[in-house]
Amino acid sequence: MARSETARADTDDVGGDGEEFDPIGTLTLIGIYFVILVLAWVYIYFVEFLGRDLVVVG
Amino acid sequence: MHIHAYEKLWLALSIVLILALIGTVTYGAVGPGVAMVADSQSTIDPAALDEDERFSEPRVEQVGENEYEAYVVARQFGFQPDPIVVPANSTVTFYVTSADVIHGFEVVGTSANTMVVPGEVSEITVETDEPTEYGIVCNEYCGAGHHVMQGKLHVVSQSQFENRGGDSA
Repeated sequence: MARSETARADTDDVGGDGEEFDPIGTLTLIGIYFVILVLAWVYIYFVEFLGRDLVVVG
Repeated sequence: MHIHAYEKLWLALSIVLILALIGTVTYGAVGPGVAMVADSQSTIDPAALDEDERFSEPRVEQVGENEYEAYVVARQFGFQPDPIVVPANSTVTFYVTSADVIHGFEVVGTSANTMVVPGEVSEITVETDEPTEYGIVCNEYCGAGHHVMQGKLHVVSQSQFENRGGDSA
């Protein structure tokens, strides 16, 4: 392994954006889940729900 | 406190998601006017529906220029009137009540769906489009014949509605 994934606090990781521990794989995975969630919501609400006949309006 | 950049991103996206969910529901209420089935009607005596002005004779009635009211009685095991005939491109308010036990009133494949509780009147308003036929099912278990409890909703053209004569009476 090129580098340790153990978070080393304080010494060289104070404040800056240069993070020592960047779980890019996890971020990507969560990003994919997020996109699926948003697309599913758009489909369920706007296509399946609002697209049906006889929407209850009162 | 140090918060990792990814975690900040995740927190921001979570908030965006919550706002988007609330936003779409708000849009649905304000834009297309989606409403909930409210407890807006007063109670009635389910044993005396035959004396009730609206439900003694289940029917569809014109109440405005393009507005209609359908008085529907659900009972073991069917819906009255059957079929329910309403005109196309109009606003129809269903008043549904039960003569015996709890039923459901679901126009299949649509969002028109409510519980039907004895003593209560469920009110749902919908806007019809083109002439078509829908099925109606009871979606609350109501007894031995629940699975055969069904009705029909016929959306017909205005001229057909006016000339329906005795076929739906």
